[in-house]
Order: sequence, then structure tokens, then C-alpha cells
Amino acid sequence: MAAGVAAWLPFARAAAIGWMPVASAPMPPPPREKRRGQDGLIILNVSGTRFQTWRNTLERYPDTLLGSTERDFFFHEETNEYFFDRDPDIFRHILNFYRTGKLHYPRHECISAYDEELAFFGIIPEIIGDCCYEEYKDRRRENTERIQDDEENENNNDLVLPEMSFRESMWRAFENPHTSTMALVFYYVTGFFIAVSVMANVVETVPCSSGPNRAKEVSCGERYALAFFCLDTACVMIFTVEYLLRLIAAPSRYKFVKSVMSIIDVVAIMPYYIGLVMTDNEDVSGAFVTLRVFRVFRIFKFSRHSAGLRILGYTLKSCASELGFLLFSLTMAIIIFATVMFYAEKGSSATKFTSIPAAFWYTIVTMTTLGYGDMVPKTIMGKIFGSVCSLSGVLVIALPVPVIVSNFSRIYHQSQRAEKRRAQKKTRLARIRATKSSGANAYLQYKRNGMLADAEEEASKEAGQSLVCKTNPTFETQHHHLLHCLEKTTNHEFVDEQTYETNCMEVSLTKPSMSRSSSLSSSPHGLSSCCTRRNKRKSFNVSNSNMVGGRRGSIQELSTIQIRERPMSNSRSSLNAKFEETVPLNSEEQSYITAAVISMPTPPVTTPEGGDSVSSHDFLQSNIVRVSAL
Amino acid sequence: MGAVVGTLTLQTRQRRPSNDKFYDDLELSVVCHRPEGLEQLEAQTNFSKKELQVLYRGFKNECPSGVVNEDMFKQIYSQFFPHGDASTYAHYLFNSFDSSQNGSIKFEDFVAALSILLRGTTTEKLQWTFNLYDINRDGYINKEEMTDIVKAIYDMMGRFTYPALKTDTTKQHVDAFFQKMDKNRDGVVTLDEFILSCQEDENIMRSLQLFENVI
Repeated sequence: MAAGVAAWLPFARAAAIGWMPVASAPMPPPPREKRRGQDGLIILNVSGTRFQTWRNTLERYPDTLLGSTERDFFFHEETNEYFFDRDPDIFRHILNFYRTGKLHYPRHECISAYDEELAFFGIIPEIIGDCCYEEYKDRRRENTERIQDDEENENNNDLVLPEMSFRESMWRAFENPHTSTMALVFYYVTGFFIAVSVMANVVETVPCSSGPNRAKEVSCGERYALAFFCLDTACVMIFTVEYLLRLIAAPSRYKFVKSVMSIIDVVAIMPYYIGLVMTDNEDVSGAFVTLRVFRVFRIFKFSRHSAGLRILGYTLKSCASELGFLLFSLTMAIIIFATVMFYAEKGSSATKFTSIPAAFWYTIVTMTTLGYGDMVPKTIMGKIFGSVCSLSGVLVIALPVPVIVSNFSRIYHQSQRAEKRRAQKKTRLARIRATKSSGANAYLQYKRNGMLADAEEEASKEAGQSLVCKTNPTFETQHHHLLHCLEKTTNHEFVDEQTYETNCMEVSLTKPSMSRSSSLSSSPHGLSSCCTRRNKRKSFNVSNSNMVGGRRGSIQELSTIQIRERPMSNSRSSLNAKFEETVPLNSEEQSYITAAVISMPTPPVTTPEGGDSVSSHDFLQSNIVRVSAL
Repeated sequence: MGAVVGTLTLQTRQRRPSNDKFYDDLELSVVCHRPEGLEQLEAQTNFSKKELQVLYRGFKNECPSGVVNEDMFKQIYSQFFPHGDASTYAHYLFNSFDSSQNGSIKFEDFVAALSILLRGTTTEKLQWTFNLYDINRDGYINKEEMTDIVKAIYDMMGRFTYPALKTDTTKQHVDAFFQKMDKNRDGVVTLDEFILSCQEDENIMRSLQLFENVI
């Protein structure tokens, strides 16, 4: 609606003549039209694809790039058109927004590319039409989850945390067994003992062949009581030690104690200690026997070792509503059919359906198509209702199951993808590092060539490089000059990887405490810069979606930073901060920073108090801006 | 059991929208209008070709079928006045635009009215305004009609005004109007009285020229 509304403003103003005779006071003068150009065609050249539209179309939304004076920054004098170096496919949708007032999200486009284009042209994604909004939100959520996953993995795999306390390293060892061999050993040992303990629980109930003297059979547990007791003690000791270690190492003890895994741990070892405390008391020995049942919970400790088990648990938790529905409908059906069967079978003699609760068992067995046969209806009515019961049972159970299955499949595939990405990441990182180092090498070559201008007796490769450098256009030289300036600024120099590592080792060998701080002083700087920049990027995305018009100033800065930072976004995830020299290198890689600042003029909001009809048209302008920004 | 009930409700919900859709489609397909040629419109109105082009593009964008019905018109007009309720005044406007009184405004009606409002003589403008106020088209404006119009205008203001609206504001306003316009004190205002009174008032004459440069 917003698009056409702006076009009808002249009509609304003309219709205001109808108020004139009724008014008792003089009207204010009309506004001076500042940029009232002719309604001409505007040519928008987006990376070679020419789009044409009326100037009025673009000016419908004055708080976007194309609708405001900001587009003048992109005006190309020679060809009398506006040139944008952006993606023409996505631009098509953006231009359609101006034409129709509805922003659509194309399903085949990458969500982050689309978001970037929207941010560039100053359009907030909230105005995506209803037809495409669901899809957009889903894709956005998937993407953020993926990014979070990546970050978590990165943080986990970060090898350069110099100041990690023993407690933190122990916690890391517990959570990620593959980080160190000790952790791996511990992981396998606990797994082994869990299995042993569970097996012991199972085997001790098996009847062992008794000796020739005894009359009745004894279970193995009673025959070899001492052996089983020793085994149990050993397992429980291991579990207790593990639990205590985890408790000590946990960063937040309260959260750890509340977590599911720790509760399982406690439940697994408690029966043993309780049994120790009250061995000889006859009254509670019955209770003690039931406590032994809880030993079987040790099998759940395997969920730390198996991702599939965790996924199953997570699925069941996320399908809680479907499971609840299943349970509820089953209960309803059971009660109904049990009642019916009871009354149908009441007449027959020697019937097993003695009461309605007794009929529950029959109903459950029939609805789940088990059919044990211990209770069968004898009357004809009973048989009819019994068949209806079994048919409906199939239906009721079959309905929620696909939902649970699809949930499980989605979560499982997500985790598979995470695994795959982790595996591929190593090769990706290696490849990216190779290309980055070649770029760094070009600069280092230039340094050696350019600085030592009279040192022409280089190796043939470098001579070739220097030739290439000289014949390159001004871009290269300016770029190199820029890097040189950066070096001068930070009082550090760019070196390549091997030199850096050898330097580090030398320095650490000679002066452990002091030099470490100096050689690492630059890397925290790099760390902090990249982290802050990433945070800024993230916060820009967040604030973009929350923009209601209040934070316009901050959005300006964030968006300029984002423009500068965008070329780095691909390399950001791959670079570890240990290459502090590569961080500033990449930040200057694309030195063509467009100077466009996304300026969003806040419209003057004049409240139409006092009844002046003409002054309200100022409000109309601002109103239209707000409508379009919604 | 619950599933059976669920499927039953699904069925009934589906049946209802299809009926409405059928009628909507019928209505849209029947009413689709193309305006006369550009030259004819240029001759009939006081607009140049370029201005007509601009007007038509805006019109067609909002109403692809070529006509505006009253609901759409009210919707469009209300967007300009979000504080209050512009539907009553829009209703009167619609009637004044709709020269053929068939419930829809074609582009020709639209442009004809705009031509008077933006490019017409003051007499034409005052005539148009008189027709707007004369709701029943009997050639006289009486107090009830004027009260309706003034009330509609005040409705557009909404509730939150400064100073606050009182119950007899409308009445006072209408009385003031009749004081000025009704020359022979017969309780109605005729076209001649209206034009004469307005021409005497400097403010009104000046404000009529206010919107000439709107396009």
C-alpha cells in the first residue's frame, strides 16, 4: 500500500480545497519544493545491467539509498547514469520493491548475500512481504545457528590460549576428549568401566549352575558375591572420581550440578553408597534391593560418548508436544474402549473383564496390536468393539510418529553437517592459508625490491616479481605504500610464516617472560581487533533487524564499518589470530572503500495539533517515511 | 479419536473461503476499465500530457483494474490521516468524485475533478466545493449537511488534539459558517450565496490558490 499512497498525495492535497471554506483562519503558505526536478527516467547501471525507472518511483522511499540524495554519490557523469557495483540479480528484487511496494525474497539466493544487499541499499528486511517472510526468517535462523556452531567449534579448537589455568584445561579435556591424549585415555577408560559395570549388573542375575549339594539354583550374583562386590566397588570408585573431577573443573558449578548428565552420574553411584551405609538393617533391605535398579542408569552415561544418543534425547525433548498429544489421545481412547468392552462383556460368564481398569490392559494390548491373547472378548458385541478398537489403535499411533521422525531426521542431519564441516575445515583452512601467504609474499617481495631499490642482484624469481611490480598500475604501488605506512605506524614489520615462528621460538628460548609479552602484545591486539570487528558485524545485523528509527546515528557508523569489513568476512573465520601480520594485511586488501555513508535523515515529525490542515502535510511527508520504513 | 475430529474440522474450514474467492474473481473480471486516449483527456482537462502520464501511473499502480471503489478509496485516503478516522470525509469525497454515481471512480472522473481543483478557475473550485457540501444534491446546503461535513473533518483529527475537542465545537463551527454564508438568513445556503460569500473572504480566495503546484 505504501508505494501507491505516495503517488496519491497530490490528490489528497488537492482534495483539501474542500476544507477551505469551512476554515476560519488563513492557511499557511505551501512548502517550497526544493528538489522538484522533472519526473524523468533514471538509469541505474548495476554491474552492467541497466535498469530504468522513473525518478518518482525511487523517491517513494526517501529513507533508502536510492530514494535519497545518497544516490548522488554513485552518479557517473560521463554516462549520465547511476552506477552500482553490486549484484544485478538481487538488485532486481530491490527495484521491484520500489515499484510495487512489496519486497520479496528469492529462494535461491544466499541469505547473507541478500542481507548485505539490503543493508547496502538501506532497506530493512522487516518489510519483506508476507509471502516470503517465513522463508526468509527460517533461512536466517539456520544461518545464524550455523555461524554459532562454527564459532563454538572454533573456540573449542583454539590452540592459542596461553593463559589457561589447570582447571580450565581439565574442563576442556573433559568436554573435548580429542584435544589431548590424556583426555582420550580417560574417555576410553570411563567408557570401558561403564560397559563393565552394566555387564556385571546383567550377568549377576543369570542363574549359575549350582554345586551338586545344593537343591535349588542360585544366581551368579549370589554365588560369586564377593567378586561382584569388588567389581562394583571398583566401578563406583572410578565414577566417583570422575564426578568429583568434573565438579572441580566445571566453570559454573551450580550449572553443572543442575545439568542432566551430572544427575545421571549421581543416580548411578548413589545406590552403592546407600547400600554401604545400611547393609544389615532387615527392614530397609527391601528398599535397598529396589535401589539397585537405579544402577541400570549407568547405561545413560554412555550418552557422553555417543552423539546419536544425545540426538535422540534432544529429539524427544523437542517433540514433547507431539508426544504429549499422542499420550493424551491414547489415554482417551483407552478409557473409552475399556468402558465399552467392560459393559459389552459384562454379560458373559467367567469373563476376564472384571472391571474397567482390568479392561485397560486389554485395550492397550489391542491398540498397540500386540494381542497377547490373555484376555479375549467372547460376546459378539465384545468382538465387534474389539475390532474397532484395534483398527483405531493403528491410526492413533501412526499419526504423531511422522512428526517425531522428521524432527529426528532434521536434527540428525544438522549434526552430520556439523561433523562434515569440521572435517572439511582443515583442508579449507590449509587452502585459504596458501592463497593468503602468496598475497603476503607479494608484499614482502615488494618490500625487498622496493626498499632495497639498488639491490637488483636478486634471485631470478624475485627479479621477475620486481619487473611485474614496476609494470603494474598504480594500484599495486599505492597498496604497497599503504602497507608500508601501516608498518611504520605500528612499528612492526610484515614477515612470512617461517620467519615468524623461528623468531617466536628464539625469543621464547632466550627471554621467557619479557619477550613473550612483547611478541604476544601484538597478537592480542590482533585478537581484539578481529573480535571487536566481528562483534560489530554481528551487532550490526542485530540492530538492523531492530531498527525502529531511534538509532539512526549509530547505524551510520556501524554501516560504514561494515562496508569496510565486508571483504574480510570470508577470511575472518579461517584466520587464527596468531598471524597478526596477516590481519592488517587483509584489512587493507581491498583498499577501495566506497566513501558512502548511509545517511538516514530523520524526518521532522510535526504533530498536527491546533487543527491546521495544511501543516499536517509536513506530517504527511514524515508519515509516509514511517510507513515505508515499516 | 482426536484425529478424526481434527480432520472433520479441517474440511469445514476449507469450504468457506472458496465461496468468497469465486465472487471476488467475478467482480474483478467484470470491472476493468481503460481510460480514453491521452489526447482526449488532454483536451478535456487542463493538464499537460506529462502531468496526465504522472497521474495515470500513480492511479494505475494503486488500482490495476482501472477503477477505484469506495472501500479502496477510503483505505487510500485514510493512510494520509492515521490519527483519526477519515472514512466519513472520504465517503463524501468519493461521492463528489464519482460523477456517474455508480460506486466507482474511473480515471476520467479522477482527472476531471483534479483538473478543476488544481487548474480550474476559482468559480469552478467553489462550485466543486459546493457540490461536495451538498450531500443530497438538491442545490441547497442546510445545517444538517454542513454539520455532517464539519463533523467528518473533525473526525480526521482524531481524539488527541490541543485544545481538546468539546461537544459543541462542531455546532459552533457550523453556526459560524452559516453566519458568514447565509446572506438572506433563510437557513440554507445556495450556490450563489456561497460563491459570493467566499469571494468576499480574502483568506478563502488566497487558500484556493494554495495547491496549484502540487504536481
